[in-house]
This record gives sequence, C-alpha cells and structure tokens, in this order.
Amino acid sequence: MEKQLKELQQLLEQLWPEVRRRHLFPEIPPPRFDSNNSTVAMEMRNKQIILNPEYVRTMSRTLPANAVLEALLDHGISHYTCCPWDLSTHLRFYARAKEILGEGDLARKATDLFMDVVADTHAVKERQSSLPLLYKSGIRTELEEIICSLYERIWGVDLGCSKEDETVSRLATIPYLDKGRWMASLSRFIRGIRPHLEESASHIADEHTRMGKHGFQQYAPEDIEQALREFAVEADSPEQFADIFEDLQSQLQEVDGDVDEGMGHGAGSPVDANRLYYMKLAENYALPLRRKDMKGSGHLHPHSHRPWEVCQPFQDLDPWCSFGKYLPGITQIWQRKEGQIYGRKEKTPSCLVIIDSSGSMVDPRTHLSYAVLGGGCAADTYLRHDAEVAVYNFSDALAGGKEYLPFTRSRSLIYRVLCRYFGGGTALDLDEITGVAETSEADIFLITDMQITNLDQTISRLSRLRNRVTAVHVGKKSGALRFVKASVKNKNISVFGVNSSNDIPRIVLGSARNYLAPE
Amino acid sequence: MFNPFEDFKDFLSKTRGLPLDRLAAAHDQIIGELTGGYGKLVEQELKSLVWFVEHNRVIEAYKTASEVIRDIDYDAHSIEDFCYALDSGADIPYLISGPAGIYVAALCNHTPEDQIVLRLGEMQRTLHFLGYRLPYGKSLRLEGDAGNFTGSALQGGEISITGSTGDWTGAGMTDGKVTINQHCGRNTGEWMQGGEIWVGGRIRGLGRMTAGCIYQGGEAVAGDALR
Repeated sequence: MEKQLKELQQLLEQLWPEVRRRHLFPEIPPPRFDSNNSTVAMEMRNKQIILNPEYVRTMSRTLPANAVLEALLDHGISHYTCCPWDLSTHLRFYARAKEILGEGDLARKATDLFMDVVADTHAVKERQSSLPLLYKSGIRTELEEIICSLYERIWGVDLGCSKEDETVSRLATIPYLDKGRWMASLSRFIRGIRPHLEESASHIADEHTRMGKHGFQQYAPEDIEQALREFAVEADSPEQFADIFEDLQSQLQEVDGDVDEGMGHGAGSPVDANRLYYMKLAENYALPLRRKDMKGSGHLHPHSHRPWEVCQPFQDLDPWCSFGKYLPGITQIWQRKEGQIYGRKEKTPSCLVIIDSSGSMVDPRTHLSYAVLGGGCAADTYLRHDAEVAVYNFSDALAGGKEYLPFTRSRSLIYRVLCRYFGGGTALDLDEITGVAETSEADIFLITDMQITNLDQTISRLSRLRNRVTAVHVGKKSGALRFVKASVKNKNISVFGVNSSNDIPRIVLGSARNYLAPE
Repeated sequence: MFNPFEDFKDFLSKTRGLPLDRLAAAHDQIIGELTGGYGKLVEQELKSLVWFVEHNRVIEAYKTASEVIRDIDYDAHSIEDFCYALDSGADIPYLISGPAGIYVAALCNHTPEDQIVLRLGEMQRTLHFLGYRLPYGKSLRLEGDAGNFTGSALQGGEISITGSTGDWTGAGMTDGKVTINQHCGRNTGEWMQGGEIWVGGRIRGLGRMTAGCIYQGGEAVAGDALR
C-alpha cells in the first residue's frame, strides 16, 4: 500500500509541471494525496488540490493512472482559473441559487453542479483535458448520469450514457463558457435541474458526484475578506447578507472547528452578521478627512540637485555628488526651496458620531441603512487616521432611548453601537453631548433625518461649539433646510445630504471652512 | 529580441470546437428571432399608445403574433427562456402583459411539441392570456402564478397551473380543462361554453357561464354538473 502511494506520489510530481503548463502556470500549491474514507476523488482546501489515492487506484484498473490524475488536476485547476475563480463569484452563485431554491443544501448542490459543468467544459475546450475518459468510466449516480448525458451532448463525445431526456435538452443550450452571462445561465441551469435535485434531495449524500462538494473552505482567509466586502455591496438587503454569511460561517466551522475572528467574522447571531455587513460595506468607501493648512517656514533648505553653471555661487556646490570635479554641467549644485511647516501641530481630532435610530429611520437589520453606513464610513476614516471614535446612538434620549460608547479604537464595539436600533421618538440630550464635545474637542458627526423634536435647540447649541460639526441628513426633510441655514452663519458646521449610497463618498469630514485655520 | 509569450504561442491554436458553441449560438439566435417577433407585435399593437382588452383587439393581436412567428423554428424551452428575457427587460425594452401573454400563447399553440412545461416561478411579473386558444391534444403546465385571462378561449387543450391565476380565468373557453392548484380571481369562467375548470383553493368570483363546469376543492360549484 505504502509503495503504491509512493508511486502515485512520484507520478503526481512528474505530471504536475506539465498540467500547470497547460493551464498557463496558475499560482496554486502542488497537489497532495490524503487518504480519507470518502468516495469522492478530490477536494480543495486553501487552494490546494487534495486527491483521494483510493479513488485513483480504483480508476487505474480501467484507465492509465496518469490520465486519471491529469483529469482530476484539470478539474481542480479549472475551478481555480475559470469557475468560480474566486469566492466572490462563488458566493454570488450561491446567493442566487438560494434565492431560487430556498433551501441552503439544495442551493449548494445546484451551485456545485453548475461550477463543475463550467470548469469541466473549460478544461475540455481550452486545455485538452482527459476528463471525458474519466467520466466514461466508473459507476454513476442518477445526477451524474444526467450530467454525463449533458457532457455527451455539449462536448460531442461518447460517454456511454443512455439518458436523453427533456432536462438534458434544456441544459444543453446554456452558454456555460460565457462569463458575462453566468448568473442568467445559473438560473436556467437550476430551472432545468431542479426537479431532479428536489426528487433526490432526501437520498443524495453530500458527495453527490465523484468530484465531491466545493465548500467555501477551499478559499484562503484573504479571499473571504475580499468576497464579504464585495458581497456586502451586491446583497439585496442586510438580511440576505446575514443569511449567506451564516451559511458560509457554518461551513467553515464544520471544517475548522472554530473560526478565527481575525478573518473578519463576528459571532454567528443575526445581529452580528448585520454588524459585519455594515463593516464590510463601509470598507468600500473612503471619505476624505480635511487636514489643516500648512504655511511657509521662511527658511531655505537644500531640496534637490541641478547642474552648476559658471555664473552661480560656489557655496551651494555639492562635491559629493559631482565626482570630485568642478566643471559646468557636471558639477551639481543644491537647489534651495522654502520649507513647509505646520501652522500648529497637525493632529486629527477624535470624532463623536451621533446617530439617530428613531422610528423614522430605517431599521438596519432589515434594510440598508444609509445612516449606519455613513456613520460607519466616518468612524473608519477617523480610525484610519489614528484617532478615537465615540458613538452616541439615540432615539428619545431624554426618555432613556440612547446608548453612549466612550472614545475607543475598537471597530467592533463602534459598529455594535452603530447598528443598534431603538425606534420611538427623536430627541437629543444636548447637555450630555455638548459636555462630551467641549471636554474632548472632538469633531462631531451627526447623522439623522432631521426630524428631531428639539432641532432648534440642537442647532443653536452646536453652532456655539468650537468643535467642527459635520451634519448629514438622510432624505429631504424640512429640518435639513434649517440646518443648512445655520451652516451658512456658522463656519464650524457643514451639512450634507444622503439619498443614496453614492452620496456617501461626497461627505468631507471636518470640512469646516476656515475653522482652526484663522491665518 | 526575446518574446516572453513565445512559450504560450501554441496554446492559441489548441482550443477545441465543441457542439456547445453551436447549440448555445442557435439558442441565442432563436431568442433573438422571438424577441424580434415580439417587437413587431408590440409595434403593431401600440399604435394607439394604450392597449385595451377588447375581443376584436385580442383576436387581431393573436393573428399578428401567429403571423410573425410562422417562420421561426423554436421549441418549448425557448418559450420559457423568452419569458425570462421579457421579464428581465435586458434585451426587450418593454413588457406589456397583454400582448406579451398573447404572443407566448401563440408560441405555445404553434410549437410542434404537445407537452409544454413553462417554469415561470421566478418571474417578477405575471403574463396574461397564457394558454389562450390552446388546441385539443396539447397540454401546458405552468409552474408559478399566471395573470388574468389564463386559459381564455381554450379550444380543447389542458392547462395546469401550480400557483394561482388572476381574473377572467377560462373566459370564453369552449372545451378543455384548466387545473389551478391554488386560487383564482374574479369572473372565473365568464362566457364559458364548455370544458372544466378545477380550482384547488379559493375562487374570488364566478362569471356568467353558458356551459361547462367549475369545481372547487373537488366539488362542483357552477355549471352543468349542478343542473
């Protein structure tokens, strides 16, 4: 047994460079054998192809071992180089499949089958793969029989299939290799295969085809980060993101036992998934933070070199960069420039994010809340500039509807408070806010729909502060106009409106025009 | 000069032509032709800007639809894919439920297949007039919901709907059978002259029928069976 495995290992090492060459040298680690008691031929983990030696041995009785290995490697590499390519595409497929089929397990199976068809067809068409030989041999499940019949039809090879039914006719006209139409193709594929999937849902094992299941565990941690960020933008609602994220997380936990929080996963509850949704979504926006002006120092300093000319003074010659020569055109002279110094010590102040979560605002757990997204983007910007952020989440603050998070750099805590939803009335506890603002000299970022009961007092108190105030109104309400008028009179207040996520990057934090830059 | 891509030169010529390329292209062409045909119908029908459901208008629209699809070679799957193309609005700028439904009904009636399955469950909108004039010997299975006038003027065909239908279901049908797993709307069986309508769920309102029979939950609620 050991000897056989060694021989297979040697064969794999010989074949790998050639297979890589055929696939234009993909950046994936060398494959390895791993004996597990599964019947599937291979799996992928962290981009590495793991082959089942038992399967290869069994298939080698009817096929040359190198053909079996090459076919398996072609299949695995095609998943990496063609479909799904990355976790983001895989998640998109899965989300669409779940939307159609409703059940996670069926969605996963449908997604796996679709990706297999695309990857195999790509390998056969573009990489001269020996996959048809592999599909021709061995015992097939009912689903495999359908897929093999499909391959027979679309590859134009004889795989010894007897199935010639309506499903195959439906599936055979889908443009699998047209990447731009994959989402529509997946929908058509699911419509075609659905009856068979549902029919056999009870008795199909996870390994419904010999190629096994393509779980999310095949991706590297950085892929997961990237995919979540992209999926947050594409998800229809926070609920859909939470739903897909929980499926993703449960699959990763199945494999790893526990998930590292460093990978960007919060705990598994829906609320935490919502928090993660806004965290990932906010990462797609970079808000500019206006910094203080600089002024001339009045002193010249050596800035750069230029060739010396005879008419120029000797004192600025730089012999170290002139090859020891005093020749016009070769000798270098220092070009002096006036230096720039800070008017005062430059520092990004901390930020107090005041977010309205009253009944008139959108519930961030069910719909995309621009208030939470905007607050998150602002908090991220200050955190990126090494500043601290405090969050004051309020509805009717005077009646106890509020949560205050003191200044911190913990992104997770900040988003926890930002995502909290109170509902109810809208009133600010101005004494508390101005107290925090005056003692900390922090910038204030207020995001609300401006339907605040004590709006006039709020405007008046904020305009008396020396802190820079960025007020963001969600939607077009009459209160917004009053704030805009106040901003004309008071230089420390800037007002922005947000009606869609596209408006968020337009916000310039701390953009008080001349404030703190009197000269 | 060394060409860094020299090693990959031979890869370009090794792409293998698959029957898939031909099958997918042929399907796209069919959908294109069906879309073109629908465009012609809409052009014809929307001269007065507003489309009303009038008896003569419906007959005229069906006649136009039958003419424009006469030379198109399509199958039942193409009809379903065309419905989704209509629904997505990507290639077809406007979906007008009335003419679109009549066009789909004409496609169903003229396809060579006798058994047609349309899985329309994921469509955002419903089409009216599905199963209009379905002739004897043909069966149409609709998975999902259907709009108004489903199975109207049915001419002996069999229609089964897994979801619900709108108002005027089976209006003016002369023969055949309409089976609705869930509910149907008002004026069900209006001007019905024969055939059967079987409803699994609720019927919102019955129409004035001449002949035929309507069943709800397996029991006759209107028509010949009660006389």
